[in-house]
Amino acid sequence: MSEPESIVFVIDDDPSVRCAIERLIGTVGLQVQLFGSAQEFLASKLPDVPICLVLDIRLPGISGLVLQRQLVEANVQIPIIFITSHGDVPMTVRAMKAGAVDFLPKPFHDQDLLDAIHLALEKDRGRRQQEAELTALRARFESLSPREGEVVAMVVSGMLNKQIAAQIGTAENTVKIHRSRAMEKMQANSLADLVKMIQRLQVSPSKSP
Amino acid sequence: MTQSVKSKYDLPVEASTPEGAVSLDSILCTEELQCRPSRPPDYEKENRALVALMSTLTDSPSSIFQTLADTILDITQCDSAGLSLLTRDGKKPDVCGKRFYWPAIAGMWNPHVGGGTPRHFGPCGDVLDQNRTLLFRHFERRYAYLLPVIPAVEECLLVPFYVAGEAVGTIWAIMHSDRRKFDAEDDRVMASLGKFASSAYQALIHIENLKFQVSEREKAEAEVRELAKGLEAKIRRLVEANVVGIVMWNLEGAITEANEAFLRMVQYNREDLASGRVRWTSLTPAEWRGHDERAVADLKATGIFQPFEREYFRKDGRRVPVLLGGALIEGSGNEGVAFVLDLSEQKRAQDNLRESETRLQAFQEDLARVSRVVAMGELAATIAHEVNQPLTAIVTNGNFCLRTLDGATSNPDELRAAITAIVNDGTRASGVISRIRGLLKKGAPDRTELDINEIIQDVTTLLRHEFTRSRVSLRTELASDLPRVLGDPVQLQQVLLNLITNAIEATSSSTNGRRTILIRSAKNPDGVLVQVQDSGPGIAPELADRIFEPFFTTKAEGIGMGLSISHSIVETHGGHLGIVPSPAGALFEFTLPIDAGVS
Repeated sequence: MSEPESIVFVIDDDPSVRCAIERLIGTVGLQVQLFGSAQEFLASKLPDVPICLVLDIRLPGISGLVLQRQLVEANVQIPIIFITSHGDVPMTVRAMKAGAVDFLPKPFHDQDLLDAIHLALEKDRGRRQQEAELTALRARFESLSPREGEVVAMVVSGMLNKQIAAQIGTAENTVKIHRSRAMEKMQANSLADLVKMIQRLQVSPSKSP
Repeated sequence: MTQSVKSKYDLPVEASTPEGAVSLDSILCTEELQCRPSRPPDYEKENRALVALMSTLTDSPSSIFQTLADTILDITQCDSAGLSLLTRDGKKPDVCGKRFYWPAIAGMWNPHVGGGTPRHFGPCGDVLDQNRTLLFRHFERRYAYLLPVIPAVEECLLVPFYVAGEAVGTIWAIMHSDRRKFDAEDDRVMASLGKFASSAYQALIHIENLKFQVSEREKAEAEVRELAKGLEAKIRRLVEANVVGIVMWNLEGAITEANEAFLRMVQYNREDLASGRVRWTSLTPAEWRGHDERAVADLKATGIFQPFEREYFRKDGRRVPVLLGGALIEGSGNEGVAFVLDLSEQKRAQDNLRESETRLQAFQEDLARVSRVVAMGELAATIAHEVNQPLTAIVTNGNFCLRTLDGATSNPDELRAAITAIVNDGTRASGVISRIRGLLKKGAPDRTELDINEIIQDVTTLLRHEFTRSRVSLRTELASDLPRVLGDPVQLQQVLLNLITNAIEATSSSTNGRRTILIRSAKNPDGVLVQVQDSGPGIAPELADRIFEPFFTTKAEGIGMGLSISHSIVETHGGHLGIVPSPAGALFEFTLPIDAGVS
């Protein structure tokens, strides 16, 4: 069985609503996984593909809003689409502030839900891609030798080869060799490319230091 | 009692003629007195004797009996003379005494002072029995107990002694030899002296009484003086302590004297007082004048007036509430003293109390309003959820059908399943709506006769979905013979809705196997009893008292109003909502009284 492209998780305590949503999402060819409660969802294993969560607010046990908070606290980044039959403004604000993709009052327009799901999956896909890129970049950066890393840092800060050579007490030619090898290892096409890469590494602290 | 006065002359009280004693007649020779040659009366000597008695009375009244004995001895020229008086205790004369005692004896028998004879057996008793003078010769022949009293008696003349017309004893003269014999003159002079001594004795008693009264009175006066001294000290302390305002005043309206406390109360100073500006009439606000007039009338009638609460003007024109009590000074007729207690603090405290009560009431009203709003909101949310769930399923399934039909390939089985689901959810939604309409329709009037079982059934039907959703099973034990109660159905539904919702939440959070809720109704002495028991974790005993407080909650999303509102609803129905100790889970129960007018 081939790995699915993406999965939509649905948590609603009403089996009737759950089935209907599954049918609807099925029409656009997405795979769906259904849960009757937050606890059931938390007990399941998350696949390594783009996912999103369609979440009812009113649930037995852990409510939708509490689940959202728990996921944020655990740094599990799943785009959430809330559905509720009695949402009010403060509740909506709270959900959106905590990073919800959308907040749909029940009964919702089918297209609204499907659009929200597409948006959410896109968001998750983007996030996953960025994360993958960053991981690769970090791996490349870590493949640099200490001297190459030192040279890259000084290059990025705007120093000329001559200045770098004076700073580290070596010949300008040696600096040039370090520099071109570093560019090669980092897969940077230009100085501007290298600067962007280093900036990205600096604003996104390593997940596993 | 006789024990304490025992002497060598003490005799058995009921002594009687011993075997072999001679008869009374054989020892009497009274008639001989008239036959014997009588000496002439010596009035001069008699007068001197009377004067001696008289001066005794003035100088040392207590020795009157001894003087009498001495006088008889002197006048009759006998060997021994004395008195016998009836006594009970051997010390004081007493007409009811059971024996005679000898308070005074002159002559040879003088050492026997304090001795005596029995009342009903002896020469003195014989004299009292016959109530006349008797002359005895050798009375020891009959009364053997007199044998040891020496010297022995040759002749004894006994004359009754009267006090206040009653014979209480005898006076007697004794010859221990036949040196001379008693005659009629002796009888006369002894009777005469006896009469005088009797008067003297009565006077003496009287004087003693007076003395006693005087001393009692002096004692009482001393006590009063002591008391007054203490009181004066107390009053002085009171005045100086300046806790109580004290004023001296007269009926004309002047305040002649006042202590610091009073001046502080009305905020005048000593100079104001000295100038005569401070008058109680001008300190009195107009509406209190009537009270003053009544107090003055009381004063004139009784000398005091009952304390009453009133107000005085202070110097700055503001008023000070006081308690006033007072009295006229005895004998002055015009001047009096008054005690004034500042009630400002007390009034302030009362006002504060009233104010905080008002605030509390306002707060409670706010709370009740909030409670109603919250309860309505909660109900609205429930309804929205109940209706929206099936609607959501219907709309979503409908959309699925449309999309499937629009698409190239449509699976009839899939379509049929979706349409069946639409029909089911439509029925479900309509059921919810009709139940809600039913609830609202019944809720119009405030108080109606109702069957609590119906209310329980309505609410459990409404919550049926909650039960299945939470996988909680419901058991009911509803008594069929319940009396109808007066109540507001909507409010009582709210109470049950709240209790059962709580029970469901508690049960579904429970980790143990049983997930049941038991609702019971029963008749009880007060009316109707309803119990809601869950199989949840129960309520910690230390929280049991607090769970009915507003805003108290154990739930993350709760606002803590449900039980508080339920509690007040049941109370307005005259019943009581409480938590009952239960071996497992929580057990809430409430009672509703049967109204007298409801059959």
